[in-house]
Amino acid sequence: MFARLPDDPRPTVAFTFDGAGVDARRGDSVAAALVAAGHLAHRLTPVNARPRGPWCMMGACHDCLVSVDGVPNVQGCTVAVAPGMRVETQRGARAIEAAAASPAFAVDDSVVLALDDTGVGDRSDALLDIAVVGAGPAGLAAATVAAEAGLRVALFDEQRQAGGQIHRGITASPLARPAVLGADYWAGGSLVRAFERSGARHGAGASVWSLAPRDDGTLALAVSSGPTAAPRSALVLARAVIVATGALERPVPIPGWTLPGVMSVGAAQILLKTAGVVATRGTVIAGSGPLLWLYAWQCLEAGGTIDALLDTTPRGRLARALPHAAAFLMSRYAAKGYELVRTVRARTRVVEHVDALAALGDDRVEGVRFGVGGALDSLACDTLLLHHGVVPHATLALAAGCDIAWNDAQACFEPVVDPWGGSSLPGVWVAGDAANVAGADAAAPRGALAALAAANALGRFDAAERDRKARPWRAALARALRGRAFIDMLYRPADAFRVPRDATIACRCEEVTAERVVQALRAGASGPNQAKALTRCGMGPCQGRLCAPTLTALVAETCGISATEAGTYRQRFPVKPVTLGELAALPGSAAADAAVLRIDRNR
Amino acid sequence: MADDAFDLVIVGGGLVGASIAFGLREGGLRIAMLDEGDRAHRASRGNFGLVWVQGKGAGMPAYGSWTQASAHLWPRLASDLARASGIDVALAQPGGAHLCLSRHELDYRAAEIEALLAQPGFERYRIDVLDHAALARRIPGLGPDVVGGTWSDLDGHCNPLRLLDALHVAAARAGVSYRPRAAVRVIAPHRGGFTLDTAAGPLRARRVVLAAGLANARLAPMVGLRAPVVPNQGQVIALERVRPFLPVPIDTLRQTDEGTVLVGDAQRDVGYDESLATDVLATMAARAVRMFPALAGVRVTRAWAALRVMSPDGFPIYAASRTAPGASVVTCHSGVTLAAVHAYRLAPALVADAWPADLDGYSPARFDVRAAA
Repeated sequence: MFARLPDDPRPTVAFTFDGAGVDARRGDSVAAALVAAGHLAHRLTPVNARPRGPWCMMGACHDCLVSVDGVPNVQGCTVAVAPGMRVETQRGARAIEAAAASPAFAVDDSVVLALDDTGVGDRSDALLDIAVVGAGPAGLAAATVAAEAGLRVALFDEQRQAGGQIHRGITASPLARPAVLGADYWAGGSLVRAFERSGARHGAGASVWSLAPRDDGTLALAVSSGPTAAPRSALVLARAVIVATGALERPVPIPGWTLPGVMSVGAAQILLKTAGVVATRGTVIAGSGPLLWLYAWQCLEAGGTIDALLDTTPRGRLARALPHAAAFLMSRYAAKGYELVRTVRARTRVVEHVDALAALGDDRVEGVRFGVGGALDSLACDTLLLHHGVVPHATLALAAGCDIAWNDAQACFEPVVDPWGGSSLPGVWVAGDAANVAGADAAAPRGALAALAAANALGRFDAAERDRKARPWRAALARALRGRAFIDMLYRPADAFRVPRDATIACRCEEVTAERVVQALRAGASGPNQAKALTRCGMGPCQGRLCAPTLTALVAETCGISATEAGTYRQRFPVKPVTLGELAALPGSAAADAAVLRIDRNR
Repeated sequence: MADDAFDLVIVGGGLVGASIAFGLREGGLRIAMLDEGDRAHRASRGNFGLVWVQGKGAGMPAYGSWTQASAHLWPRLASDLARASGIDVALAQPGGAHLCLSRHELDYRAAEIEALLAQPGFERYRIDVLDHAALARRIPGLGPDVVGGTWSDLDGHCNPLRLLDALHVAAARAGVSYRPRAAVRVIAPHRGGFTLDTAAGPLRARRVVLAAGLANARLAPMVGLRAPVVPNQGQVIALERVRPFLPVPIDTLRQTDEGTVLVGDAQRDVGYDESLATDVLATMAARAVRMFPALAGVRVTRAWAALRVMSPDGFPIYAASRTAPGASVVTCHSGVTLAAVHAYRLAPALVADAWPADLDGYSPARFDVRAAA
């Protein structure tokens, strides 16, 4: 279960869920408030009417859909609670009849329409020098460095507060005891303050859903004001774009991973950072990777409870990682990691070398079955937190047409970039974890380097000055990358957890099982895109984010080909769901009229 | 017979090729169907799913008859596919509409339909020009901007991805060998057959049917044929699943059996560019919202562009080679609507010794005549 920390200073907000009263705190998202109150199932799926609850808490998975004040299919994790809000379970597909007549739901006073705030809006004369997408460490550093170089910069991010997922909630933390998140979390504050002083504009609460070059050499970004009562989109023009869209947790497609109460570790961490909600008795945490240990430590420091930690790092990995150990031991990750692991082990049962996992239960998780070298065991639990590392979240760059390549050490596709973050598309840089997962310490220098390269490309200063300004950032990057090879090798997810079997769900949105995908592949589907066409996997509202890595792995294994040959989904716009009305309000053109109407107006 | 030798090789695993394979699956021929890899220009994955009659045949009355014949054969195709593959392709032919958002559009449409039906030799069927009130009785939720439109009882739609799957499954169960990742580089005719150089190795065949969409333009001359097709881009917007609200298809907007809503339109000559244009999407979306205002708040989950396979006059090309006997070419941009006639009428002709006279009009020779005139 989850519980609120006792010393939350924020005022109470009362709302209803399916008619019953729920107490939340001001600033909570609807999804966080429901989870804190013990409501883990938020919707029934449209395909099989199965109960679901939030998996990611960061706007990707669409499993937290609820109806809010009569407006259907609202992502609960993206909307703040308001007093008297009427929240209801989203039962299957939404109706459209309700949509036109329903009153707009109340939104938090603090919501600002990003497009107005940036002052670029619909004005075609407002050409940005640089548009930065994503307000994590890479985006903040990029926007700051670019603005300090005298460029006209706007940074867009779907969260209302800067910081990205890593520093989520840093400017409005609900925590009375900040120390529970650790010093690294609060280090993000200096990035945010530098950004705020830099003169770069902040498009808060704005999701960028399209990025395309225009004939005049500029780049057009379509930006949505996000989940508000009356969402709207606008086109923003920029001479250069820095994509700093961060990382996304890798899917963990084990049996039962769609049950309410099964959630990603990152989601649990967002609950802690943004709502002061912590895992308590009945919680099992399973998987591998730095974030797993960090959250376990933060949870315990905050007064939470973890019944058991099931470590899926395969036997023998440590030995294979040892050749990289020297650099790791010299890095700051070593001391920090050692302290985390030591503290967690002292206070929690840790089971090592777990090689099989299944969530048990019918309508919610009731236990976890796990295997170690063929020996099966199980534990009762009401909350199961899963994590197998993170992968670049670069759908915007991919849809824009940036080349990608397979990174075998990290088992993921990533955009191909030069040492400055320059992508294969002119004018587009990709920085931070969106280009290559290396953590916050590497993301900020990479953001800065991309900004320097862009400023140079825009004629702000010459290559010699760019290189001179880059020196301290290159040094910081080298320090941050020291030890990463060890971490990559140690925590590369075991194939058993990348390739689902049998009736295990591969695509959460469309409820497509692994065996259905394999059947399509055996029948001749030649890759992820053909499997998608035949099975609908990847066609749902998460737009393939939660199944793309799974499909690559399934195709590679089933067809006996490499991950590079298997490939991944062809990404297309919009990379975030926007309403048809938003799309309709974008500017058309005479050419578009001619293409659509096909009427000879002179006749 | 060696593993790589076939009575018939169909080049192309899209709806056209698969419909032909389905039509011939029980004819005792050893058949291979070749396809490209995971990423290719695939009209059959990008299409809209209409089984559509109204408006077709202007400039070629025989094509109007051919289209009507396919619509009439479609229930048989759907039930044969259900039996042979176990897959329901969700055929529904409740009639369908074309909607007009201004008086000018409606007048233009009415004149088009009148001219279509007035053609000498046109096999007439009923198309009604309806005002807003008459349309609203058949179509719930229409916006006030819909001035009127046209209606035909013959129109319908299906699930085109399940159609493709069903054709493939049924063909495979009957022994047709499907070969993905086998793009054809060269076809060499020789006495008694053909050798095909493919990305998956060489193949030999007694007969070859080119059903390769846009690639037909490149492949047809290798067997003494011409298929001067070019890409024409269309765009589709897919909305999230909603509860059933639209019982009939509109030619630019329909609700699928799964509950999603598709908005499809636009004809753009942009070569092989498959990227989306936001101005075009915006125009399509604006029209869709005017047609059905309640859709304004529904979310777009996906959008895509796909390339139609267009001949110079927009009509299909069907032809058998004189210089390389045993080779033929099939191309069209209505692979869903025509799937039934392709399976039941065209497929047998492609492997018969005599070319049926009623298909003569689809020869690419018609383009030479026009050029000469």
